[in-house]
Amino acid sequence: MNKGSIQVIDCQILAHDQFAGRQHILTLESAQIAKATKPGQFVHVSVSNMLLMRRPISVMSVDIQNNSFDLLYKVVGQGTQQLSERKIGEVLSVLGPIGNGFTITDKKSPLLIGGGVGMPPIIAAAQQIKNSVYNPFVILGSEVPFPFTSKLSKIPTPHIKENFTMPLLEDWGIACRLASLQNYMGVFKGYVSDLARVYLDGLSADELLQVEVYACGPKPMLAAVAQLAKSYQLPCQVSLEEYMACAVGGCAGCVVAVQVDNRPTMQRVCVDGPVFDATTVF
Amino acid sequence: MHKNLKTKFCKLPLNSPIILLSGCVGFGEEYTRIDGFSNAEVGAICLKGTTLEPRLGNMPHRVIETPSGMINAIGLQNPGVDAVIDNILPALDKTETRFIINISGSLVADYGEIARRFDNSDIDAIEINISCPNVEEGGAAFGNDPDMSYRVVEACRQNTSKPLITKLSPNQTDIGLCAQRCIDAGTDGLAVINTLTGMAIDTNTRKPIIGNNQGGLSGPAIKPIALLKVHQVYQVSKKHQVPIIGQGGITTVDDALEFIIAGAAAVGIGTALFYDPLICGKINAGISQYLLDNDLNNIDELIGTLQLNNSTSLC
Ligand SMILES: Cc1cc2nc3c(=O)[nH]c(=O)nc-3n(C[C@H](O)[C@H](O)[C@H](O)COP(=O)(O)OP(=O)(O)OC[C@H]3O[C@@H](n4cnc5c(N)ncnc54)[C@H](O)[C@@H]3O)c2cc1C
Ligand SMILES: Cc1cc2nc3c(=O)[nH]c(=O)nc-3n(C[C@H](O)[C@H](O)[C@H](O)COP(=O)(O)O)c2cc1C
Ligand code: FES
Repeated sequence: MNKGSIQVIDCQILAHDQFAGRQHILTLESAQIAKATKPGQFVHVSVSNMLLMRRPISVMSVDIQNNSFDLLYKVVGQGTQQLSERKIGEVLSVLGPIGNGFTITDKKSPLLIGGGVGMPPIIAAAQQIKNSVYNPFVILGSEVPFPFTSKLSKIPTPHIKENFTMPLLEDWGIACRLASLQNYMGVFKGYVSDLARVYLDGLSADELLQVEVYACGPKPMLAAVAQLAKSYQLPCQVSLEEYMACAVGGCAGCVVAVQVDNRPTMQRVCVDGPVFDATTVF
Repeated sequence: MHKNLKTKFCKLPLNSPIILLSGCVGFGEEYTRIDGFSNAEVGAICLKGTTLEPRLGNMPHRVIETPSGMINAIGLQNPGVDAVIDNILPALDKTETRFIINISGSLVADYGEIARRFDNSDIDAIEINISCPNVEEGGAAFGNDPDMSYRVVEACRQNTSKPLITKLSPNQTDIGLCAQRCIDAGTDGLAVINTLTGMAIDTNTRKPIIGNNQGGLSGPAIKPIALLKVHQVYQVSKKHQVPIIGQGGITTVDDALEFIIAGAAAVGIGTALFYDPLICGKINAGISQYLLDNDLNNIDELIGTLQLNNSTSLC
């Protein structure tokens, strides 16, 4: 047990920007969370005085110089609606950082796949390995307009003709391509798993040995990615979601079925996850 | 810790009248993940409901927010009595607080057997959750029937000399009668109340949101109900000096004081921790200050001091 690892912090809202598709990026002030958060961890946020229960949201990126961190969320119900109404300067109570995030292994070519509001932990993982020995490739998928203005990439990706990317990742020097079933300019038309297949098919057998897949997104997407990883015999980590109450392991409210030693167990997404080995859940 | 908060419950000395409630704090250590949280701030901790055999619990979703509260249906996920005794109890830091095990069964005999096994452990007390479905009698909860409640408490009493606390269900007609029967069967304390049964429906799918279809409602939504039940039970229990852990939606200092005034000797905090994990320190400080402000030496002087109105009607 990581005693004292989760802080209870009142964080001021430094920025709060709205994007198409009811998506928002929220910048909160906290030196502690900016410093301590690992990719794939999340925070448990009090959205307003009207709703008592907190909402779990992944940390997308941290800015240690600015003592801040960013969340990307989509309005899907009352809680996220009330969160979207909070203004710059207001203060939110936040618990965090929480959970076992991605374990970045020594496989040097991580394939990072994020779908919808599953993008944040993937971007967090990319942030951790930028400017390092790693040679990551990021695939982001969305069925609503991306929560950023995508732009032409200068980082080449052989075998993939669509060449738009996320500006933040481009600035970090990380290769990224986008996927959607919608007709967006410069974006691969299909599922993220289809684009991942195109990417993997372009790698040599030796290169494939260096790939580990990291994924976050809706369950059907994760199931497809897990299946793909299996067919290429690649290790795969997936980040899961489930309804939460405490987010500290106390209530067993957030469990998912996980196979351990070929036996079914119920594990808590909040503290046993949110990241699990794909072969144990799909 | 505030000196005037020290109290006793079923002869157990407690640091504070606050007791953390079963099912909200796992097996006692989970909240120590929170920086600034300490088990030493509470009088006792009720551990997760434990059954004879291990249970995986219910399929998700297990929790959902509802107006001023939440519904849960965890399904008593636990590793079973033997694993709790062998692996969990030895690892608990018993210098900080007291630990109470919460037990559940689907047969009267299960309760007796679990109580017997815990009798040989170093647990401080046993809380009997009688809100479980009675498999022998067609699945209705033991706790909704005073005679069945009697039999469950009796089976435990025959198997342990540890303090027994019986947790009463609000989902019954006459909670006072049930309290009386549990006292007759030898309970040392009462916990009032467990969750109320409830449901939430997803209008898009027209399915219940909770995997188990229904669950237990907790949080501020149930507080007024819980408070009246504590008052009703206290009318019965005070004659026998059987103390009550008042619980159900306590989230503020005033909530805690209301329960004590209605007759509770200790106050349970569960759902409120999910909103504010550091709430216990605040409630301790508030109760302590109230005692000082009202020239009371300790909470004993406040328990059951409710002044009822003269309720003569006007017409
Ligand atoms: C570890 C984790 C990380 C997450 N990261 C993000 C993120 O980065 N960006 C983002 O937009 N969303 C994220 N989510 C999902 C987000 O928590 C839900 O969209 C949000 O709780 C919905 O609340 P609501 O009141 O608006 O929706 P409602 O549908 O009205 O919610 C009703 C209840 O169900 C719960 N709930 C509904 N959907 C989810 C869900 N998918 N996951 C968990 N609880 C849910 C709510 O918390 C609330 O208690 C994450 C979830 C988890 C578990
Ligand atoms: C998630 C959750 C799990 C619970 N599990 C148990 C349990 O295992 N045994 C039990 O007797 N009560 C259980 N309860 C009931 C609580 O112990 C408590 O009696 C009830 O929630 C009312 O208090 P509150 O409103 O302060 O939470 C549970 C409650 C919640 C919210
Ligand atoms: S939300 Fe309570 S254990 Fe995960």
